[in-house]
Amino acid sequence: MSEEVFEHKPAAYLCGGCGIKDALDMDALETAITGGMMVSNVKQSDAFCSGKGLETIKSDMKSGDVNQAIVAGCSPRVMVQEFNEVGGQVFRANMREQVIWQQPANNEDTQALATDNMRMAITQARKSEPPQAHWDGATSLKLLVVGGGITGLTAAREASKTGAQVVIVEKTDKLGGWAGKWSKFIPENAPYREPEDNPVPALIAEVENDDNITVLFDTIVDRTEGGPGEFSCRLKNGSGTNWDIYGAVVLATGWRPYTSEDQKKFGIGETDGVVTDIEMEEKLSSGDLKDVKNIIFIIPGDSDRMVYSSGVSDKVAIKQALQMTQADPDVMAYIIHEDFRSHGLAEEFYRHAQEKGVIFQRGEVKSISSDRTVTVDDELLGLEIPMSGIDLVVVSTGMVPNSTNIDLEATERGADQLKSDINPVAPIFTVNGTQVDEDLAETAADAEAEETIPEGGPLLNLQYRQGPHVPVLANGFADSHYICFPYETRRSGIYTAGPVRRAMTASEAINDAQGAVLKAIQAMRQANEAKAVHPRAGDLSFPEFGLDICTKCRRCTVECPFGAIDEDPETDYPVVNPTRCRRCGTCMGACPVSTISFKNYNPAQVSDMVAAGTEECPPDKPRILVLACENDAYPAMDMAGINRLEASPYMRVIPVRCLGSVTLLWVKTALEKGYDGIMLLGCKSGDDYQCHFVKGSGIAQERMSKVGDTLRSMMMEEERVQVNEIAIADSERVTQILNNFGKQIEDIGLNPFKGF
Amino acid sequence: MTVPMPTSSRKYDLNFARWVRDNVAGGDKMNMCMQCGTCSGSCPIGTEMEDGPRKLFMMIRAGMKEEVLSSNSVWECTSCYRCVVRCPRGVPVTYLMQGLAALASKEGYAPKVENNYFSRYFWKSVELTGKTDERLVPTAYFFSFGLIEGIKRSLGNLKIAFNMAKAGRMHIGLPHRIKDTKGLKAILAKAAQIEDQKS
Repeated sequence: MSEEVFEHKPAAYLCGGCGIKDALDMDALETAITGGMMVSNVKQSDAFCSGKGLETIKSDMKSGDVNQAIVAGCSPRVMVQEFNEVGGQVFRANMREQVIWQQPANNEDTQALATDNMRMAITQARKSEPPQAHWDGATSLKLLVVGGGITGLTAAREASKTGAQVVIVEKTDKLGGWAGKWSKFIPENAPYREPEDNPVPALIAEVENDDNITVLFDTIVDRTEGGPGEFSCRLKNGSGTNWDIYGAVVLATGWRPYTSEDQKKFGIGETDGVVTDIEMEEKLSSGDLKDVKNIIFIIPGDSDRMVYSSGVSDKVAIKQALQMTQADPDVMAYIIHEDFRSHGLAEEFYRHAQEKGVIFQRGEVKSISSDRTVTVDDELLGLEIPMSGIDLVVVSTGMVPNSTNIDLEATERGADQLKSDINPVAPIFTVNGTQVDEDLAETAADAEAEETIPEGGPLLNLQYRQGPHVPVLANGFADSHYICFPYETRRSGIYTAGPVRRAMTASEAINDAQGAVLKAIQAMRQANEAKAVHPRAGDLSFPEFGLDICTKCRRCTVECPFGAIDEDPETDYPVVNPTRCRRCGTCMGACPVSTISFKNYNPAQVSDMVAAGTEECPPDKPRILVLACENDAYPAMDMAGINRLEASPYMRVIPVRCLGSVTLLWVKTALEKGYDGIMLLGCKSGDDYQCHFVKGSGIAQERMSKVGDTLRSMMMEEERVQVNEIAIADSERVTQILNNFGKQIEDIGLNPFKGF
Repeated sequence: MTVPMPTSSRKYDLNFARWVRDNVAGGDKMNMCMQCGTCSGSCPIGTEMEDGPRKLFMMIRAGMKEEVLSSNSVWECTSCYRCVVRCPRGVPVTYLMQGLAALASKEGYAPKVENNYFSRYFWKSVELTGKTDERLVPTAYFFSFGLIEGIKRSLGNLKIAFNMAKAGRMHIGLPHRIKDTKGLKAILAKAAQIEDQKS
């Protein structure tokens, strides 16, 4: 790729719409831009987002006089599509949500805020170049599906519908998995009342007749290298191994039955006529239940079962009880439960079972005798009731995720990795806020991790410096962002679906497969065009390393949440696996010498933006720097504007890709340039994280916990730098936090470096 | 289908729940009970009952036939229908109470309470005249406790009787009858016949 020197040709577009021109002095702003900010090309309009307004920018771009448009108007979160299509780099200065909607009109401080926002956006443009594709692309568009159960089959079928080539790797010698064995399914269609026919046989036939799908039986994945678009996988079966290149991987390895000690005490496998719900399914399929007239389903109440069943086995009990009463109306079916969860549409199913005469009894099963007399401690009667004359007792089980391959031996390195994954090192404290005893928290997390390390070897045997496993969370479930991005793992291009992620019903697994496969296809296609995958989908920018000053400290390789950076085995310098990178900038924030940068996002650029925000600050006015995560915190602040929540006019807000990309350089610059306080706003960290880049927010908190020393060495108060976790819906909270912070800073007094 | 009537010799007999489901009016809806307790909480005479409707249903499910049929609850029910109106799962609690009372009567579970006497004379009056007479029913009821007790109770209600007569609420003279007592008798006979066929 040829490296041309990029010539900056900025132009400012001042939008006066949505009441901006009534609240701000537009001409004064224009004078400031052409004067101090040295951008001569300034245009004003009442609506740059209108067809005519956009046409103005487009024709300027086309003429070649302009290649960077700085639009002052609404938040960068809105009108994204419109401004992205004007044909050059676009920068946005937020004048609407965070200025005129939160500040009094025609006020000196409001005008200063608007001018500074503009200056920061122009500075951003000055230090920005259009990103270029990092490689030529042309990578594999073939999908690897691991597991041939209902999730894997659905994933393969859905991928094939989009025209992709799919390979299913199945450990056993037949397709269908557990769901293939079920006699009936929990209803998924209105009115959600009757057990439905098993769709798996039809699904298998569809997959077998699909020319796009290849099924490999008795095969496992022995080794995986590379990243999205270029996964190099070694498949192993009885006769040997075989290498192939895949674009993405859908991991649908499913589950295995969970039976706790509590359940064993009921005499499963010992007492005649006491079976698990899985064995019951086999009996229902074979029709071996003619003589059963009285049947009891036991839903035990131990907490592990709740984790591994998650309401699934409760629904299964309803289904099996209904099947029994349907086959023979004389059958009396009892469901004895300590807790019962039939959430969502299964409420209809539960009600239908009651209508059909299934009796739900709340109580704890105390014992089951050899003649199957079940003694129940009925909580609602306060009596122990012996239920005799029972022909069959069915005990509910759970689903343990196959997030490892239990047929293989655990590797020591793997165990280490799993432990560190489960134990979210992300400290749960805010700097100088409520502090948790770090050692204590760590020990507790360690103990928990110790208990929950899953047995077995790695599923894909990933050749990552972070270890061979697909990351897991507590109880061995594959890691995922539980609210927003359920299929994303910390290994780009590898998507988990089905019960490996959480206990779920077969129909939920179908939905899961459909979701995960769309993600996988997106990943393959984006990689093919050298673009980032979720959450910065389509981003071409890329971390570049200035190796001349790199100290080989390894912070970037260690802290990258996605294992995108390795050390060169010979020189020890960082090497990027380009397709794994998600462009969060956590490496940039980690680098102690600030030598990692993106074309349009780099340490020097934000440092200059920080400086620009306080350039014209009078010595008697406070200034507070807010570095806000662009994914959750910044939109929450916009929302505060939409709700017209009053905010301090002294905040200077810079959106960052992730709090993990914040380098200490920016904090230092801010203190030197006379900011009185610095607030960092990121997403929730910990094992129920909401960080879009998984670890970024936690890493940032850890880094900032060390800022206190720096502040003390500068003879400044520790309270001047604070970190907070903000969710996207926290508009009121974020305003409150910032306003309180403003007051706190006022109490402490202004930065002694102000004006130097 | 016919389920054998559960024997009362066993304290717990799971057949009882099935029997109630199939033979007592509203029994098929008893399963819908989710034990929220709205019925017992709404019952104006819940404090008089040994077991509220909620607990009674749970006892039926547990097969406690003897306890259910000898409970005073089924007799205390005044059929105010408050529970039926309030039940979130549409269980006809009152019907079930009446059905269980009828069953208890038939099965010979000696009613321990006064309400049963009242019910008996109430029914006799209806059978005879097609109406309930404000003098005959209470008087017969009071004297079912014995002569002295009967006099005591009658005198105790004298004032109410006077006031009712004054307000035209109690009729003096021969008891009223409906026009077609013969027709009523035929209806009742048919109902009894149907009931007999059931069991």
